[in-house]
Amino acid sequence: MATTTRMRCPKCGAEMNHHANKVDYSAGAADPPAVDPDFHGVLQEVHQCPNCGNIEMRRAPEGA
Amino acid sequence: MNDSRPLSIPVILGTPRQGRLSEHVARVMVEQLRKRDGVQVRLIDVRALRLPSTDAGEAIKDPDFSETVMHADGLIIVAPEYNHGYPGILKHVLDSNLKEYIHKPVGLCGVSAGGFGGTRAVESLLPVMRELGLVTIFWDVNVSAAGKAFDSNGQLLDAALPRRADKMIDELLWMARVLRYGREHIPAE
Repeated sequence: MATTTRMRCPKCGAEMNHHANKVDYSAGAADPPAVDPDFHGVLQEVHQCPNCGNIEMRRAPEGA
Repeated sequence: MNDSRPLSIPVILGTPRQGRLSEHVARVMVEQLRKRDGVQVRLIDVRALRLPSTDAGEAIKDPDFSETVMHADGLIIVAPEYNHGYPGILKHVLDSNLKEYIHKPVGLCGVSAGGFGGTRAVESLLPVMRELGLVTIFWDVNVSAAGKAFDSNGQLLDAALPRRADKMIDELLWMARVLRYGREHIPAE
């Protein structure tokens, strides 16, 4: 599972932990080019902040 | 894994129906959770969320509900069984979040007027929980003959229900601690 740089929490600035990847089927409707043809949805990284509990998703890099 | 922070465990009451007996069951779950040290509880009533029916999914997020789920360490869902399924509004509400659920445990509580304790509602919720990224636990709570489990004032008559609820809560809190540690510290690879 390839990943990019560690994500910084946009709420508190702490380094977040990338703990999951998830296929987001609904996100493809708004951004069809982002749909991964192997998964038929947008592959998203899920990050949680150990400092403030914030959760963020961002599109996984191609080939992840 | 020495973490003294409280665990946040919202209880979702999954039906808006008038006269719902699930409300009494949800109250029992909240009361049992409140007896635990280090647990913060909040009842989320799908009736109060008032999500629009002109759209669905994350487009209709309720900010307060999403924030509560984001900071939750686990969930309990109390769902009555209507016509062999769970209430449609519960799905409508659950679908309004996604990232907020991932790698969090969920305990399911089925309620029915008949003798099967909402098992069909619980079973039909399982694949939905899985797709949302929630982690189901192996203890459920099933309330059969809900009309006999409480009196007309909502007072509990089924003395065994709190003990059954406690078994589910024990497992849910263990999973909540483990998964919180994992979400915060264990990378996906």
